[in-house]
Amino acid sequence: MHGRVKLKSTAQQEEEKRKEREKKLKIYVAGRDAIFTKRLEGVLDDEALQLTQQLLSSNPDFATLWNYRREILLHLETVREEDDVQKMYEAELLFLESCLKVNPKSYGSWHHRGWVSARLPRPDWARELGLCDRCLSLDDRNFHCWDYRRMVVKMSGVPVDQELQFTDRLIGSNFSNYSSWHYRSTLLPLLHPESPDPPSPCHQHSHSSPPPSPQTHSHRVCEEQLLKAVSSVSLPFSAEREEMISCVFVSREEERVAVAFSRPVNASSSGLMLVLDGQPQRVEWRSVHPHFRHSPVWICALPPGTISDIINEHNLTVHWTEKHTHRDCALYTGRSESWCRDSATDQELFRSELSVEKTSVLQSELQSCNQLLELEPQNKWCLLTIVLLMRALDPLGYERETLSHFQTLKEVDSMRSAYYGDLCSKFMIENTILKMEYAEVRVFSLSDKNLTMLCHLDQLLLVTHINLSCNQLLRLPPQFAMLQCLEVLEADDNAIENLDGLYYLPKLQEVSLKNNQISKLSDLQLLTSCPKLTCLDLRGNPVTQIANIQSELTELLPSVTDLLI
Amino acid sequence: GTQVKDVVIKSDAPSALLLDKHADYIAAYGSKKDDYEYTLSEYLRMSGIYWGLTVMDLMGQLTRMNQQEISDFIKSCQHDCGGISASIGHDPHVLYTLSAVQILSLYDNVNVLDVDKMVEYVRGLQQEDGSFAGDKWGEIDTRFSFCAVATLALLGRLDAINMDKAVEFVLSCMNFDGGFGCRPGSESHAGQIYCCTGFLSIAGQLHQVNADLLGWWLCERQLPSGGLNGRPEKLPDVCYSWWVLASLKIIGRIHWIDKSKLRSFILACQDEETGGFADRPGDMVDPFHTLFGVAGLSLLGEGQIKDVNPVLCMPEDVLERLGLHPDLLS
Repeated sequence: MHGRVKLKSTAQQEEEKRKEREKKLKIYVAGRDAIFTKRLEGVLDDEALQLTQQLLSSNPDFATLWNYRREILLHLETVREEDDVQKMYEAELLFLESCLKVNPKSYGSWHHRGWVSARLPRPDWARELGLCDRCLSLDDRNFHCWDYRRMVVKMSGVPVDQELQFTDRLIGSNFSNYSSWHYRSTLLPLLHPESPDPPSPCHQHSHSSPPPSPQTHSHRVCEEQLLKAVSSVSLPFSAEREEMISCVFVSREEERVAVAFSRPVNASSSGLMLVLDGQPQRVEWRSVHPHFRHSPVWICALPPGTISDIINEHNLTVHWTEKHTHRDCALYTGRSESWCRDSATDQELFRSELSVEKTSVLQSELQSCNQLLELEPQNKWCLLTIVLLMRALDPLGYERETLSHFQTLKEVDSMRSAYYGDLCSKFMIENTILKMEYAEVRVFSLSDKNLTMLCHLDQLLLVTHINLSCNQLLRLPPQFAMLQCLEVLEADDNAIENLDGLYYLPKLQEVSLKNNQISKLSDLQLLTSCPKLTCLDLRGNPVTQIANIQSELTELLPSVTDLLI
Repeated sequence: GTQVKDVVIKSDAPSALLLDKHADYIAAYGSKKDDYEYTLSEYLRMSGIYWGLTVMDLMGQLTRMNQQEISDFIKSCQHDCGGISASIGHDPHVLYTLSAVQILSLYDNVNVLDVDKMVEYVRGLQQEDGSFAGDKWGEIDTRFSFCAVATLALLGRLDAINMDKAVEFVLSCMNFDGGFGCRPGSESHAGQIYCCTGFLSIAGQLHQVNADLLGWWLCERQLPSGGLNGRPEKLPDVCYSWWVLASLKIIGRIHWIDKSKLRSFILACQDEETGGFADRPGDMVDPFHTLFGVAGLSLLGEGQIKDVNPVLCMPEDVLERLGLHPDLLS
């Protein structure tokens, strides 16, 4: 089905081909029918083995035939001596080898070989490893063979460093070696299971391999640097983050508690418990938007009257019993709201804490990438690796260079400019969050930052004023509903056409959406869920051109007394 | 310079969508039962029928296919164990059990089969570590995890398996690059990624995916020709317009590829003479690539094609009828 070129041929050539195929088909069908007949009759003999062998040689994907062979072999096992069984299965391995020569990518052949190896009275794993060596020397991207090799290694206890050396040899001799890098990424953690710094696939390699030959394309070198950066920086981080409640917010007026977690959770299955003044409360937790069964932010309503009187002091504790952790929040007399947020998490919010050793490794990698970049200023692998390394080392310090590299990336790799736009937006949002001083967690400005998307909204639970103006946002996503304290939203001069995230925001009073792409009345439907909304600026949106829009809006949003269209 | 494995699209390659020719191609496919290729592919016939019917339905041409004949055929492929085979005389397998259920869902006719037995068959394929075998012979592959949950989702019987364990196994197949392979330790591959993200969508566990990392790996599949490959250093193939694109849609990052360049590539894979799509421009067409070319175009917003669901690769209106709305990341 793949890679069959359509060739033009004459009428005579067509006719000859047709005759030949007709002949082949007749033979094939006769073989198939004979096999099916024998099978229906329950026959398990050598003739069936021969017939299936003929068909499988040219069609190893005919899975039922492998099944039939296994039935016959299993039967023969019961009526033959161990030595003969050994010979029988060795012959089967020989047959499989010829099948694999013709089609090294048949699931059926590889699975059958694994099945045979497991049934051999005396398996020869060294031979199997040798088969893998040969197969991979012809095509080191054959994932069937790599998977088979992993099985052989497991069954026969091949040491990890021996396999690492094998990948070294392949990587040193071949450009197309992503499969080897991948294998290394699974082997290295086995070498150092206790290591606090998860090793990257290239860590050992840089010491043991020969320097890249002159023929090594520099994009290859940088691509590998990038894989190194990706594996040593991105993936380990998500696994490392401590699971905790990052913030608890309580408001007397709405009689609500909002809780932010370090990762998305499902409140109903997490053992969430609210204790007020020593008394467990029966509350129903809901996520900020029905879209999310798993969410980093959850809300609950307290029984009316429990905390509404501003004279009373209260102590609140939220227990995340599944993870044996909790967070306290004290609500003082005279205060209408309170929160508890862990500032110590700020530095580890978006990247792993780096040991001295790791920092030094990353710095030298950054240095060599920068040297390469001087020679090849348009090398995208280089640019992206540099960006990732800078994020890991000093996200705020390298902000200027990061922005400049993203500009270059969008130019040299324009197919992926949307990706670079989103990634850069993420980094700018992260930097803005990092710059948030502890005292000033309530006013947050992201204006004029070329933002194409919003993220980390779970970090903005306490924000009362947000400025998103002059960006390239297309929507306020459902996650925007995590801004449970929001009072004022400025989002002028974007391309917003969707307000899904303005969902039951209890404190939202003012919304400015000048010069966006809101085009239908229904786009504004959700605003009715925000009870305190009084000011709405929709000037410069297509929706304002609709006939009778003034009266339609007044009817939809009667409490909005300050409406600008 | 750097050499990237890719194709070059000729200037005279097709650039308009030839939907009618594709419908004619599929309608006629398999009518000449004495075709060599057709007979050799009997081992996947059930999936072949699913590919053909689904693409016809997406093009609004399902009525041209013979519903009764197909229903009877499927019935005769259900075995005593409850599983379905690719064709008569072949052995049952979870791949063809899914295809059969997909076909009958198109026709709203699942009950021609013994559904309870089929559910039991699927349940029986789950292993202790949560993985799924393809059949009684024990091959393990995340493709089969997807087939199992997709089948049960269409039947409304997801409670039949241990979902937590099933999720645990699929997550154990996540790699350093955010992608997924066949088994734990296997290299990331777009086809497996489609199966695993589809699985996680059905299981309600998409938040476990590292969407930014995986989305990047997936958008790096796009080559200068505009086509998508299945993993690094491979040639583009129109079927990856489905595996990669659907995965991107499921994780909410479909805007990370250049849509117009991909569209041009997919259209170039059409055969103006015979109808149908090939894996790449100039190659032989087949129903497999025809479905995924059309489905890919649907995901790109092609007006003439019905909306396709990225998780189940079936028309959205069919899933609407079944009340099935698998999660997608936004």
